[in-house]
Amino acid sequence: MTARSIDRKLTLADPGEALARAGVVYADYQSAKPVDPRVVEAMLPYLTEKFGNAASLHAVGDVATAALEEARGRVAAFFGAEPREIVFTGGATEATNLGIVGYALRNKRKGDHVIVSEAEHISILNIAKYLEKNGFRVTRVPIDLYGRVSAKKLRARITDETILVSVQWASSEIGTAQPIAEIAELLDGTGIALHSDAVAAEGLLPIDTAAVPVDLLSLSSNDLYGPRGLGALYVRKGVQVAPVLLGGGQERGLRSGSEDLASIAGFAAAAGIMGAEMVTEVPRIRAIRDRLVERVLAEIPDSHLNGHPEQRAPNNAHFRFDAVEGEAMILSLRDEGVAASTGSACSSKTLEPSHTLISCGLLHEEAHGSLEFTFGRWSTMEDVERIMAVLPGVIARLRALSPLYRTHAPATP
Amino acid sequence: MKSTQYTEKTLDHFRNPRNVGTLEGPNVAVGRVGNPVCGDMMDIYIDVQDDRIKDIKFQTFGCGSAVATSSMITELVVGMQLDEALKVSRGDVADALDGLPPIKMHCSNLAADALHEAIKNWRAGVKPEDATTTPVEKSCHPAPTAVAEMEIQKLDDYDGKGLHRKVEDLSELADARVVVLDTGDRAAQLAMDLTDHTGRVVLMTAAKEPGVSPAVRSALRLSDVKILAEAQPLELLGEGELERIRVHDLNEDEEYELTADAFVVLE
Repeated sequence: MTARSIDRKLTLADPGEALARAGVVYADYQSAKPVDPRVVEAMLPYLTEKFGNAASLHAVGDVATAALEEARGRVAAFFGAEPREIVFTGGATEATNLGIVGYALRNKRKGDHVIVSEAEHISILNIAKYLEKNGFRVTRVPIDLYGRVSAKKLRARITDETILVSVQWASSEIGTAQPIAEIAELLDGTGIALHSDAVAAEGLLPIDTAAVPVDLLSLSSNDLYGPRGLGALYVRKGVQVAPVLLGGGQERGLRSGSEDLASIAGFAAAAGIMGAEMVTEVPRIRAIRDRLVERVLAEIPDSHLNGHPEQRAPNNAHFRFDAVEGEAMILSLRDEGVAASTGSACSSKTLEPSHTLISCGLLHEEAHGSLEFTFGRWSTMEDVERIMAVLPGVIARLRALSPLYRTHAPATP
Repeated sequence: MKSTQYTEKTLDHFRNPRNVGTLEGPNVAVGRVGNPVCGDMMDIYIDVQDDRIKDIKFQTFGCGSAVATSSMITELVVGMQLDEALKVSRGDVADALDGLPPIKMHCSNLAADALHEAIKNWRAGVKPEDATTTPVEKSCHPAPTAVAEMEIQKLDDYDGKGLHRKVEDLSELADARVVVLDTGDRAAQLAMDLTDHTGRVVLMTAAKEPGVSPAVRSALRLSDVKILAEAQPLELLGEGELERIRVHDLNEDEEYELTADAFVVLE
């Protein structure tokens, strides 16, 4: 038998065109992003010709080693880090496990107290619960009306036993950007490590570990339009973490398992593209988001913006509408070809409304009426027009069904 | 199964709900169940003639299945004898929709409960206006705040640390999440004035509506003050300063914590 080559040229669909053909306005980029076709092209050689294992001592392995380290350098450069500070992981959740559990275990002799913010993603709150079950004490630091952690309240919770603080860079839900530089300054020199989940800020807000003294940073490839299932943990030089996944000792012993070279090459390509295009892409996305916020608040009565009016991820618009329920909005928008997200309890596995919105001070009934739009690389102004062609009608229809809405109507004098 | 993996029939009743609205007349009763806090609330109106449901309408705040089950139950029971209608169970409603995701079964319970409540109210002679909103005369009775205040735990611990007996300079509460305890018109007026300084002002009352005069009530409705009714503060919580208020939800008889930076209890 001879090896067969595929002579048909591989053509990659453009995500924007594919969505347009399907008739879908996709405004849920925070849930999943398409992989940029340019990234896919950069990945392909590592699936076929450059398939080696970086641990092998032969020439095929050397090609892989060179590619791995080159990719590490490009990802590090995007975040202002040194190559040896980047540990590739199987996604951001794994990076967070390594960053929080790995740090806590490795540094337990220094103390047993960990602080996490109330705005953290559910994955981090669950990791904190795991630590509590395993001999650590966990304190949550509250957030303000807009979802921001106050440095003052954080300071009030620090004890002699505190070893780690985890505060996200921006909220993946309401978009609020945390005063991470201020928090990092507060902790700098105290011996308390700062971990930050940066997935909702990647490619949207500047993240420079050379300028902001964070110790641990959870990163995701997909949030830069790279492949899913790949992430990285930034570990500042000198910071010690214990592995949570054991095996052959890859990634300096911190993350065992043969490296997924194609995905890592994809992450590096995605970081390279973002590094070159962020300066034009972010203002474009921000303009789309601003237009939606402006129109919703002006054209839909009793609508509100959740999160901070300015200090927020530029792709995020998070609303709530009095007297309507989130899942009902999502279902109706789905019928109209609009893909969005909600923090309503009825859409969740637990039937609990978004903990972030409750921590911001909203009542349960208000948290139930939340609707999140997140834009991205293939979003257009036309998307805003299409959303606004249907959203006011959806809200009006659901309010007409709702026994609550009349109580919000102005009383006739 | 995703919560939104509904059957075609459920989606049809969500998209095109039958019998939406309210009813009026001498033979009308209403069943109102649920709580906006839980994310669903249902009103079912029945018009009864010769012990039969002659007409039926509903209004629902809730998710897809809450809307669909209300709509479905109105179709199932219209024309039925009351005793027959009382036998319609949550299972019957779910079956008629070709099934519901397991996590959504409580919604069908709610629709059956609302119907049963309406029949009960009709038999007890409870008029819709008595069953739905409390009449103005009743809610004008002052909420039992004077007594309740004594019972709020750790109230004094937060004096000057989030508890305000008076607010002289409104701007000191700029951008704070302020909860004002309903102690009458003056408290309500302060709550409204505060909306110029912060986006979050809650007026908390143990009654079904704030105990204020009709003029203030109208002004409140037009204002950005969020009314939190049937809520009793139990305890103030926080690390050094007020951060949360433990609240008794009097309607559901449940407790929850409300995030707040300031609690105003006027003297």
